[in-house]
This record gives sequence, C-alpha cells and structure tokens, in this order.
Amino acid sequence: MYRERCRVLANGRVAPGHYVLRLGSARIARAAGPGRFVQVLCADSSEPLLGRPFSFLTARPGSFDLLYHVVGQGTRILQGLQKGDALWVLGPLGNGFGTKLGPGAEAALVGGGVGIPPLVHLAETLLKTRAVRPGKIRVFLGARDSTLLLCLKDFRKLGVDLRLATDDGSRGTKGFVTRPLERYLAEAAPAGTRTTVYTCGPTPMLKAVGALAERYGVPCQTSVEVPMACGFGACLGCAIKVNDAAGSSTDFRYAIACCEGPVFDAAALVWD
Amino acid sequence: MGLDLSTRLGRVRLANPVLVASGTFGHVKEFERYMDLGKLGGIVTKTITVKPRLGNPPPRIVETPSGMLNAIGLQNPGVERFISEKLPYLRKLGVPVFVSVMGYSTGELAAVTRALEKAGGFAGYELNLSCPNVAYGTKTAGTGARMFAHDAKLIGSAVSAVRRLTRRTLLAKLGPDVSDIARMARAAEGAGADGVSLINTFVAMVIDVRTRRPVLANHTGGLSGPCVRPIAVRMTWEAARAVKIPVVGIGGIASARDALEFLVAGASAVQVGTANFTNPAVSLETLDGIRAFMRRERIARLSDLIGSVKT
Repeated sequence: MYRERCRVLANGRVAPGHYVLRLGSARIARAAGPGRFVQVLCADSSEPLLGRPFSFLTARPGSFDLLYHVVGQGTRILQGLQKGDALWVLGPLGNGFGTKLGPGAEAALVGGGVGIPPLVHLAETLLKTRAVRPGKIRVFLGARDSTLLLCLKDFRKLGVDLRLATDDGSRGTKGFVTRPLERYLAEAAPAGTRTTVYTCGPTPMLKAVGALAERYGVPCQTSVEVPMACGFGACLGCAIKVNDAAGSSTDFRYAIACCEGPVFDAAALVWD
Repeated sequence: MGLDLSTRLGRVRLANPVLVASGTFGHVKEFERYMDLGKLGGIVTKTITVKPRLGNPPPRIVETPSGMLNAIGLQNPGVERFISEKLPYLRKLGVPVFVSVMGYSTGELAAVTRALEKAGGFAGYELNLSCPNVAYGTKTAGTGARMFAHDAKLIGSAVSAVRRLTRRTLLAKLGPDVSDIARMARAAEGAGADGVSLINTFVAMVIDVRTRRPVLANHTGGLSGPCVRPIAVRMTWEAARAVKIPVVGIGGIASARDALEFLVAGASAVQVGTANFTNPAVSLETLDGIRAFMRRERIARLSDLIGSVKT
C-alpha cells in the first residue's frame, strides 16, 4: 500500500458517460491485483472531501487504468483531467479475487455496470497465471442497453467466451445476466463442474448470482460495493453484514469491506 | 534553534501536541506502513465499551460539503478483547496512549475503567461523553439530554465515576451541541478531569430527496471535517478561558495552519481526526508544519504559542 502523487497519462471516453483514466505509478501497478482497489482524491481541496474507490481495469509495468462512470462531483472532476495533471492515490487496497484454482478449473465471471472493469483484470490474471484456459473462462455481462456493455473489446482480445444480456434486448439475451448464467450452470453442474463464479456489479445482481451459485453448488466470490470513507480500515464506515462463524450472541457481524473485502465468499454475505 | 514542543496533560508529558482523534485511526496498526507512529504526541483509541458492540447497520457514512457524517455506532470488541488483542501492540509504540471509554451508565463506565486499571500500561483515558450515534441508557433519562455531554450534572457524575478509580490522566470529551460549552468544561473540571477534549461531532442529517429517506441507516450521524473547524476554534477559545485544566482542540484539522489556530485559541494539544481518512500521514505532516512555523516565527517553546490569541 502506497500513497503517491500519480501523473495522468491518458483520460478518454469509452462509452456514454464512461471514461478510462491511466495513472502512472510503478509501485501501485506492481502491487495491483484483480478486485483490489485504489482511493483517488479527485481534488487537493476539501471539495469533495473523501477519496473515490476504483478497482483496477488493468495494470502494466509503470501504470494502471481505472474505468469510471461520471455520476457526481468527484467523477466530474476526473472527467476534466488532462495528461500531465496529478492526483493523490492510495493503494492498492483490499483483498482482491482469489485466483489460485485447482487443475481443470473453469471460471464464470459475471459483471454489470462499473462492476465489469475488475473482471477484465481478473480474466487477464487467470490467463497469465494459467489458472484457467482461455476457452474455460466464460464472461457474462449485463447492461441496460448495448451501449453500456463495458469492456467488450478488452474481453475479445483475451479470447474468452462472452455471453451478453441487455434489459432492452438490443444485444444478447433480453433480460438480466442471470439468465445466460443459469443456463450455463444448469448444463455444467451435472457434469461435475469445477467452476468458480466471480461477480461484481449492482447489489441486486450480486444477490441473484450468489443464490444461483448456491443452488448449483459452485463457489462464488463476490466483490461488494459499499459507501466508504477511508478505504484502509481507519473509519469502520464500510460495514457489510456477514455470517459470524465464531458465534457470539448474534449470528452475524459487520465486516469492514475495505480490508476484509471487498471480495467475500458469497455464502458468508447476509443480505437484508 | 532548539524547539520545545512538549506539552502536559495531567500527569503525562507529551513530546509534542499532535494526537490522533478517537475513531479516526482504526486499530492504529493500519497506519504503521504510512508513518512513524512513535513520532506522534499521543494516540486516542477507538472508543471501548464493557461489552462488544456490533455497530450500526450500513450505510454508516455520507459525504457532505467539506465534511462527512458517520454513524459507526461504536463498533468495538469490548474491553476484555481490547486488553488482550489490541493493547499489547499499542504499549510497544512508545507513545502516550489514551483509551477512549464509554458507558451507558456510570456503572458501566466504572466497569470498563476497573478492567483497564487492572491491565495498566497506558497513559490515560478520554471519556467519550458525546458519541451522537448510540442510544443512551437510563442515566440520561428524565434530563432531556441525548448524551452525558448535554447536561452539566451528568458530565460531573460520569467524570467522578472514573476519577475515583484512577490516578491516570483523565480527559473528558465534550460535544458541541450545547448552548454553553464553558459551563460543560467547568463541570468536567469540577469533577476532577485533568483536561477537556473538544469538540466531538455535531448531530446532523442528510436526506435523499428522491426516496425521502435519511441516507444513514441510523437516520442521523456525526458531522466532522473542515466544515466544523471555525465552530470548533470558537468553542476551544471559550472553553480555554473558562477552565484552568488543559483543553485539547479537535475539529477539522488537516494542516499545521489549522492546528495552530487551535493552539493560539488556547488548546494545549490538538487531535487530527477526519483528515486521517484521506491522508494517513497527515498528523505527522501537521507536526512538521508546526515546527516549521515556530522556527520561522522564532518561537522557542510551544507554551509561548498556547493561548496567544490577541483579543
């Protein structure tokens, strides 16, 4: 974990309202892992005050990329950044996805919205470490319409098996991404699959994907998104309910998502 | 020029006046990779209660203009696990550690103090009389107070309950939602506190106008950050004039300039809080800046700066 003043190397639009910011830092890039994140201070003033957490889209020697959706004050500032500008960045933070899988492993990556970028980094890592063969990585992406299916080019370059779903049917299956996922799990599960599901995206999707994984008896790693102030365990603000195996007076406790997560075993999460 | 930055809180001499505020510094260990913890003037721990507390349901955090609201709800492992799991690490840092303690009654405050007195190996206490995010028990019932810090008599009884159990430095942390902070500081002094820390967060609220719901699950939370600083400086000034015991200034400090304002207003030490969330090394940067200011202004002793406001 480092705190570093990072130079903007590039900042460009990739989809309506979505941009990719490339920042220079050899140390952060080296320690980046899929599902880990950085806290970016969008301004040097107190407006906005807090850092914005972004997972890695990818990393290479010397720099890393973040994909952001312009939704508010902080991301609007990011949108205006130009090559040569500089930002304070803290990271990498969090645990990230577990990528050590057994022989013959398969992976189903399920993403929606800005939950998609860390799955690119994950697919790259699974391929680079030879944890899974390219044809055995299946990527399920969901979006409102075809223009918001993020990172398609990145996944195509990796040669993974892509399965798409849009709410309006403008691309892929009409409906939620859980439909093609369920079809796949229904086919794979009877054959005694060694599939691990990885998911990141809107909370309703995470719940549905976790439920499917449970029904088909496959492990599922879920990356959660919760409001966060510090990102490194100082404020205890990013609480998320998990099963308490230690069994105190209650059957749950609040885990701190920035350091115990943001990736959790789906079976440990308790959704209210 | 040799600088003397030392300052005194009760029986404890601090090497410098910069502490970190309760609830803003995790379990301390999270910061060791970003800074030399041994250089801090002191550390105030996350508040500890007799029994473990789960904390409040999420969302616990929301950003506001130049500030934030939090409603963590005093999530902590309870005093026994604090003593066995957290305190040994803190003892090794070689920095005065003030354990922040809280209870829902004077009985609970006494219980947590007794357990800590038995364990020993720390500098003192900061009595959290002003957490805005938990329901208080019978002790405040009938007084109209939402917390100990809202009522001078309750402040007195809480401070007395701990004072009679310890000779260690005892700081009383006061809340800002009162009409007369000087009176509250005097109540703490009268009951035997060695100092008062102020301010805690303001009780505040943010509403999502589309859903008509409060953003925080707790409905209200504590407002902190640079937006509260001018009010905190004013309250520090008022409290410092009202009592002889030291005042520890807190509220939106994010730089040496900010800290100096509190010292000039009359604070004998300061605590850096919310700023730790965005820059884990900000407390030591603040200290370095105070040192540079003293050199520049040819001020040899911190004590020459404390309370030097010209009014």
